[in-house]
Amino acid sequence: MSNTMAGPTHWDGFEHPAGRVAVGVAGGAGGWRGSLLHIHIAEAASFEMEELAEARCVAGRGIEGDRYFLGTGTYSPKPDVREVTLIEQEALDALARNDPPLQGGPIQLTPELHRRNLTVRGVPLNHLVGRRFQVGEVILRGGRLNFPCKYLEELLGLPVYLPLYNRSGLNCSIERGGIIRPGDAVLPLDA
Amino acid sequence: MTARIIQKLRVAAVAESTPEVRVYTLEHPRKPLLPDWSAGAHVDLRLPDGRMRQYSLCGEPGPQPRWQIAVKRETVGRGGSAWVHDSLAPGTEVQVSAPRNNFPLAAGAVRHVLVGGGIGVTPLLAMARSLAAQGADFTFHLCARSAALAPLLAELRVVCGERLATWFGDEGRRFDAALIGAPEAGVHLYACGPHRLIEAVRAAAAERGWAEAQQHYEVFQPTLDENFKPEPFELRIASTGEVLLVPADRSALDVLRERGFALPSSCELGVCGSCVCGYRDGIVIHRDSVLPVSARQDRMTLCVSRARVSVTVEL
Repeated sequence: MSNTMAGPTHWDGFEHPAGRVAVGVAGGAGGWRGSLLHIHIAEAASFEMEELAEARCVAGRGIEGDRYFLGTGTYSPKPDVREVTLIEQEALDALARNDPPLQGGPIQLTPELHRRNLTVRGVPLNHLVGRRFQVGEVILRGGRLNFPCKYLEELLGLPVYLPLYNRSGLNCSIERGGIIRPGDAVLPLDA
Repeated sequence: MTARIIQKLRVAAVAESTPEVRVYTLEHPRKPLLPDWSAGAHVDLRLPDGRMRQYSLCGEPGPQPRWQIAVKRETVGRGGSAWVHDSLAPGTEVQVSAPRNNFPLAAGAVRHVLVGGGIGVTPLLAMARSLAAQGADFTFHLCARSAALAPLLAELRVVCGERLATWFGDEGRRFDAALIGAPEAGVHLYACGPHRLIEAVRAAAAERGWAEAQQHYEVFQPTLDENFKPEPFELRIASTGEVLLVPADRSALDVLRERGFALPSSCELGVCGSCVCGYRDGIVIHRDSVLPVSARQDRMTLCVSRARVSVTVEL
């Protein structure tokens, strides 16, 4: 497969065109405190996600063992911000109650299915482009909003493209690596 | 094109069906159920070097805790079956895709004629299970060299009962494709097995005027056409207008990948359908064994099919 290309293709979050602009614009939410609910990785494109009780984040690379750390992801050949991806549990909850009613009915998009690495609660991800924040001992930089892909829809056989629009999560680079575990606090920095 | 989840499954059991064929039972190490599937579906097994091999599921269709595949050791094959036989044992982990069905039972059919040769009986056994469970009207023609070499014979006898007709060469009984009979409304024909069996069934169906839509075939081997001379052609990317040259000795799939398109594929022989893509504005030379005639006006199989001069692909 062509997507096993070697070599790092990660951008720093603040070098991505979106993150770079956002860094220079005032705003973002402060005063919140969220938590890390789940960590998931997959070793290669299309592989079933596996839940971890603990993960090592490596600056400039990603989460140890994950496809975007290994360069085996669907989008690995494209330079982008993909070291760590996050999604809000609140977005999954909204899909589960069919809110807004954009599809036939509720969609149970469980943390194992959505293919983002971290599922978080109480973290305003859409406000974190161009911001630094902490997950346990690790510091992340919000590079750009995640965008739903048709690939996910195909892989899952669920019509998630439209309902995930604008709440698909956040793509980050790792400023400071370390170990993270479910239950870790997620906190804003510089806010 | 359809992407499918790849799961790491565990071999739960291995059983010998014939001296050449083993039945592998697969289960998820943590989950109680595997993805849902319907009769005729196959999964891809991923070999250690990344190549994929297709095997039809032959157990009970539906969401099940375990899957069964039957694998014949091919002495002159491409190495996949030898790897399976030599490497998979109870407890071994193997990478398996979610099922895809290119060979489904026709909805609304009133009667079904199933013709299976050798290891080609695997998808048909699953079909027979579904049909028997529905109380549907069907006949199963099983062709093999001998009863001892007929894969899944015991299961077929249980599932089909009187509906099973066996054609074993060593008993002097040879299947005559004329037995498919004349086409009638609502009767569907399914054949899977060696190339010559499929060709005999196709010829008999054509001679008797069976409609394309009433005939269903599955062949997990490339179409043999030694006279085909590939020519270079141009691929235009619909979304960008970019034009790529596909040289005579390379596939459209290869050229697209080199250009950075992340495309799914599996068999790369034109049989599995993973890399099927929409096209327009061109004359495509279809060389696959997966797309029905009705789909060939706007879909092409990038791994083997080519175009005259140029074609625009929906990418």
